[in-house]
Amino acid sequence: MSNKFVTAPASVLDPRIEPARGRSVKSKWARDVLTFLMVFGPGLIVMVADNDAGAVSTYSQAGAQYGTRLLWLVLLLLPVTYFIQEMVVRLGIATGKGHAAMIYQRFGRWWGLFSLIDLELVNFLTLVTEFAAIDLALTKLGVDPRIGIPVAAAGLVLIAFTGSYRRWERTVVLLCLLDLAWFAVAFRLRPPAGELVRGALVPGVPAGGITADLMFLVIAIVGTTIAPWQLFFQQSCIADKRLRFSDLKWARLDTLLGACVTVTVAGCMMIAGSASLAHGFRFTDPAQMALDLGTAAGGFFRHAMLLLMVNAAVLGTTAISLSSAWAYGEVRGWAHSLQLPVREAPGFYAVYLACVAAAAGLVLIPGAPLQLIILGVQVLAGVMLPSAIIFLQLLLNDRELLGEFANKPWNNVVNWTIIIVLFALSLILAAQVAAPKLFPGA
Amino acid sequence: MATTMHNMERDRDDRFVVIHPLDDLPETKVDIEGLGPMPMTAGVRMALFSLRAYLVLMTVLVLYHVLDLAKVFG
Repeated sequence: MSNKFVTAPASVLDPRIEPARGRSVKSKWARDVLTFLMVFGPGLIVMVADNDAGAVSTYSQAGAQYGTRLLWLVLLLLPVTYFIQEMVVRLGIATGKGHAAMIYQRFGRWWGLFSLIDLELVNFLTLVTEFAAIDLALTKLGVDPRIGIPVAAAGLVLIAFTGSYRRWERTVVLLCLLDLAWFAVAFRLRPPAGELVRGALVPGVPAGGITADLMFLVIAIVGTTIAPWQLFFQQSCIADKRLRFSDLKWARLDTLLGACVTVTVAGCMMIAGSASLAHGFRFTDPAQMALDLGTAAGGFFRHAMLLLMVNAAVLGTTAISLSSAWAYGEVRGWAHSLQLPVREAPGFYAVYLACVAAAAGLVLIPGAPLQLIILGVQVLAGVMLPSAIIFLQLLLNDRELLGEFANKPWNNVVNWTIIIVLFALSLILAAQVAAPKLFPGA
Repeated sequence: MATTMHNMERDRDDRFVVIHPLDDLPETKVDIEGLGPMPMTAGVRMALFSLRAYLVLMTVLVLYHVLDLAKVFG
């Protein structure tokens, strides 16, 4: 039997109950805009935070190695990332629960535990790369990382520990908007328009053919554009924000807008990388790329790119740490909400604090091969993604659970296609590792 | 549809009231506790076990590949 949905809040069911606060507007247009602005947030944040330090590195490396020839791949990932996150939006709004809680409830403790371990492992490794990137960028900016990293970590803790979801969301949305500065960087460094259009609209393999390096990079691009933590983060975020059934349309729009922003910003990062290639610089990491490009584009752009790298890492860190804290809190049955003060959700905030502090502390230990760790984590995320999406796909086909919100047949065709492609990519990776001579070297 | 039914119809002053989700009263969601675990056929269960094995194998392979790139194996 399907669940019965109540599609209106209690204030409507019982007219005597008046909600605490509301804004009064005159026109339908103003009502829609205001409603969207109130619902807006989780979709943009999850997408922009996805362009984290690893993404900056992966996209700029792709540009530095292959110019704009892989822009079409990033564009292709726009609908993919939207379709996957849209499922999470439906699941979050219909159940009011996070993704980890759903897996525990519907698949049992064993599967729930495995999913949680996968998530926490990849999340922690990713957090290390975020702080490694902050370390790298701060060093190039002339700031001592031994001071800069603890300050960044303290800031990350402060924005989440206010006891107000809204304060956290507003701060993070502001950081997301700073990411738009990548457009200015790309505009300054842009290649000829024809090359851009060809790279974006004509799918093709870069000169040199299919090599092991290319395949590894393609999997890393997919892994960084669609990451498992995003599923957990957005669903928990929606549950924490208490989005209602009536907000579904606006939450979808928020997600679509976020997907468009993240993909175009990713393209901008690739353009910056391609400018590095065009100027004949050898790519080692994005911070070095910023320094190199600074000699061609000016000191302002050098500093801008380094600060954008820090911003990307900060955004990634808050979102990933929260996805870990929400997931752990859901599974342990702890209070887990940004709306709660620290004393009322100590376990939830402790996990967030532990994630940030441990990753920041690890990075201060010198000698880690940053670029390799970042690329390896993106690939690992790409490998784990298909299994995370399979759970999502099974949940979204659970009519007993979701009723009218379950996947339509066309959703399933799209999603299974995505899953098959993701599995194929991870199989290619497996084949490449098992038989290194399968693809020619770079 | 806007945030509440208040938004669907104009009130007496011919205006719409829009309420932030966090200021609104909680609405009734799907009762997942009452549903229990999802019924799965033996085939689905086997597929999920295979998936788990695949994931463990892939994680080991990625680790090997990264260590290989780092020239740990010479």
